[in-house]
Amino acid sequence: MSEMDFETQMRSIAQRINYPHTPDIAGRVMSRLRRFPSPTGRGVRGEGRSRFISKGWAWSLTLIVVLLFSLMLIPPVRAAVLEFIQIGIVRIFPRPTDTPPLETPRTATPQSFAPVTATPYLESSTLLVDLSRLAGEKTLPQAQSLVSSYYPILLPTYPRDVGEPDRVFVQDADGAMTILVWFDPNDPEKVMLSLHIIPEGSWAIRKSEPVTIEETLVNGQRAVWAVGPYPLRYSNGDIDFTRLIDGHVLIWTDGNVTYRLESNLSMEEAIKVAESLQSLP
Amino acid sequence: MLAHQQAVFRFAYLLLGDADDAEDIAQETFLRAWNHLRRFDETRSLRPWLLSIASNLSSNRRRSAGRYLAALTRAFREQPKDRLIEETHSQSAEADQLWKAVQRLALPDQQVIYLRYFLDLPVAETAETLQIAEGTVKSRLNRALEKLRKIIDRDFPVFADRREGREA
Repeated sequence: MSEMDFETQMRSIAQRINYPHTPDIAGRVMSRLRRFPSPTGRGVRGEGRSRFISKGWAWSLTLIVVLLFSLMLIPPVRAAVLEFIQIGIVRIFPRPTDTPPLETPRTATPQSFAPVTATPYLESSTLLVDLSRLAGEKTLPQAQSLVSSYYPILLPTYPRDVGEPDRVFVQDADGAMTILVWFDPNDPEKVMLSLHIIPEGSWAIRKSEPVTIEETLVNGQRAVWAVGPYPLRYSNGDIDFTRLIDGHVLIWTDGNVTYRLESNLSMEEAIKVAESLQSLP
Repeated sequence: MLAHQQAVFRFAYLLLGDADDAEDIAQETFLRAWNHLRRFDETRSLRPWLLSIASNLSSNRRRSAGRYLAALTRAFREQPKDRLIEETHSQSAEADQLWKAVQRLALPDQQVIYLRYFLDLPVAETAETLQIAEGTVKSRLNRALEKLRKIIDRDFPVFADRREGREA
């Protein structure tokens, strides 16, 4: 085997190593920064504090926290620090402790606000129940007519044969939220893609500690890629409901509109879909 | 932070071989980076700087646990070869074997292999992380690969045969 072959093989094999799941480092670091450490600096394992933190380091941390809090009083700085967990109306909350993610959906779902998800790992029967309970189904022209004063309904042109959505819903979430659903052509009982178009002022959508959160770009604008499972919570202060999302979600904004694309696609493919959105002819 | 936490965690995991230690190191890395943010040159890439901090912290951790690790390593080497290599067609198992072989190398050789092959960093970022010249990265990598090949041939014969067999 030549040196080049050996190097190529080593590189190829090395890429296949199974790493442990990356914990929520960012969330735990932020949590540590928000809290004053104890004077001894001895951390408690599992609460986001180090096992081997030194006394000197504890005092350094204290100074950092004081500095952070001081900076957080300045609105632009506060916005910059928090920016990475907020996109459009979607807020991503890191898990504050080692609480395991939800294993079953918790539903306090009002009939008229049942969410649509294109969760690839959900059983189709579950999904169809959700769709059948979903209020506000419209035809595409009806939906366009309803929301046209707020935003245009954009449809993907990638993949080329994606076509028009199979189901269209417009729901009042303190703003006319449009949900477009495409079924898998090979298995019409499964959802292939869903696109939420959410205007400013709608209910806040919150997700807590997805397995993966990654910043990326859609049309050169900041976007967030999140991989489940994670609880997704819709709320407007009076009513809220939570359910478990197990799919991959790309979130981005365009002006005052937030887009949320849920699919079982890779991030790269999801970005292609997002960047292919065009107005209805 | 989100963009780099995986790379930092994985690098620490490769260096330390323990997920809990790697998490601690990753947290300390970001805290230290935050503390020294004013020293960071914003025209440069953030990732090598973070990985460099993680590398230093991991080295300290290895030293503090050096005796324990040395005992483990001895125990590992004293096992019969047929227990070292488990016949499996799992691709991840093959990667684990490679990782075990890399762990036999000196730390600077491990670092360069982890960064270039396991984390797939470009030469320039690898050089920046290790704070050496790009030419040094290449020469160190070549030497590390030579040593790795000998280790695999000597101590991981099944793995070596399989690699040769696949090529044939």
